[in-house]
Amino acid sequence: MNVLLDGFAAVLTPENLLFAIIGVTVGTLVGVLPGIGPALTIALLLPLTFNLDSPTGALIMFAGIYAGAMYGGSTTSILLNTPGESASVATSIEGYQMARRGRARAALATAAIGSFVAGTISTVLLSLLAAPMARFAVMFRAADYFALAVLAMVAVTALVGRSMVRGLLSLTLGLFLGLVGIDSLTGQARFTFGSVNLLDGVNIVVVIVGLFAIGETLYLASRPHDVPSTVAPLEPARGFAWLTRDDWRRSWRPWLRGTALGFPFGALPSGGAELPTFLSYTYEAKRSKHRDEFGSGAIEGVAGPEAANNASFSGVLVPLLTLGIPTSATAAVMLAAFQIFNVQPGPDLFDEGARWCGR
Amino acid sequence: MSTVADERPQGTVPGTVPLGRALGPRIAAVVVLLAGAGLLVRAIGDAAQHGVTVDGPWLAPLIVTSGWVVLGATYLIQSWTAKAAAGERGERAPRASWFVPAALMAALVGYALVLEYTVVGYVPATAVFFVAAARLLGDRPWREVILRDAVVALALSLVIYVAFTRFLDIQLPAGVLPL
Repeated sequence: MNVLLDGFAAVLTPENLLFAIIGVTVGTLVGVLPGIGPALTIALLLPLTFNLDSPTGALIMFAGIYAGAMYGGSTTSILLNTPGESASVATSIEGYQMARRGRARAALATAAIGSFVAGTISTVLLSLLAAPMARFAVMFRAADYFALAVLAMVAVTALVGRSMVRGLLSLTLGLFLGLVGIDSLTGQARFTFGSVNLLDGVNIVVVIVGLFAIGETLYLASRPHDVPSTVAPLEPARGFAWLTRDDWRRSWRPWLRGTALGFPFGALPSGGAELPTFLSYTYEAKRSKHRDEFGSGAIEGVAGPEAANNASFSGVLVPLLTLGIPTSATAAVMLAAFQIFNVQPGPDLFDEGARWCGR
Repeated sequence: MSTVADERPQGTVPGTVPLGRALGPRIAAVVVLLAGAGLLVRAIGDAAQHGVTVDGPWLAPLIVTSGWVVLGATYLIQSWTAKAAAGERGERAPRASWFVPAALMAALVGYALVLEYTVVGYVPATAVFFVAAARLLGDRPWREVILRDAVVALALSLVIYVAFTRFLDIQLPAGVLPL
């Protein structure tokens, strides 16, 4: 517990808060670019953190970049109906309708405040849950890890997307890309086709840029008819009161429900934010007193999924930090980033990693 | 990308074609299947040459590429039967424009080749690529926006070049410009 408090104290120094602010700002700036989701934003901005002297500062800035990237993704979902990743799809359904009716400010505000509420609650849950989880995970052997990896990959494939065949096919394509290069156990070169460049394998950043940025660009380019053409002018702002009292009243319960849905789903080894965000959306749409507004911009439909999205990511950190298993694209990039910082997520992290908090 | 794509509204009639006639998934399935078959042959060749053991490096490629071929064949069959059935029920898919994505791909490949094999350098290549991409993705008449596009392209590529080489120590090809 002392270590945990030390951690909070380390974060709250002016220097580290500055790193956090820089990270959030840059992350939001890049994250709002349409088609660039959190995973790609983190991959693009990761080099920024390499030049910092203090590893704690680098990790804090990295966390800031992540938070900014998430919020930037919500911004494009709400304003342009262009979710940067599948987790923001639920947000864009009502959020974009709100923006079209001139209520973009309220939509962005409820997304931001909901993310803050959900992020804070679930981070506390994460720090309480992670250590017991890790103690359990220390008992894992190679066979257990293999079983867990198979479970995670199959579960993610089966739950995400509509077609299981396409999901499994993508899985084999991904596994194949992982085979390219020198095998780390035996030193044999596989599928390099005589090219020196392929000996190191296919870089994860290249794969991510190709899948998320190029793929989304080509997809949008092939759908000229989907481009939104009409957006209502913004409602006049009333000072800083971007949410009316009614908005607050309608938002706080969805925030808490979204958090409650997001964290446990994220913490499952099959993780991901798609299920909890859509569950939250469905729940709010079915149970809301303003059911009739759904489809034309109901604030509950933004508040709930956004909170679920953020909470589920803190949940995703549970298997990522304790088992070393990334259950979303963003988590996979974060895993690579942690390894670049010489932090190896996994059961040992909580024995060796305390020094990261204390410095 | 399919998860994002799947959630897009597909019901609007003007930009749609009957689902049964959508060729894209079938072409994709054939390409995937052929690529998988080629790699499976390669994996079998490797395995025959080096010998396969359970803890050796040549078993995993066999498993992965066989899975690829089986799933690719399943997908091909599905894209014929399922799409045909959906087309008969009158379901419609968004009409895809092929020219713009194909031209973008060509521009991207050309951009990479210019960067890799010529001495043009990052800034001019990126500026030209940006203008070309903006042209392909935008609908407005050429004369109205070309000047603005060119200015934005030059400024953007210069800023990125300086930011990456000076502040992030990531080398980009300098090329013909004295930077």
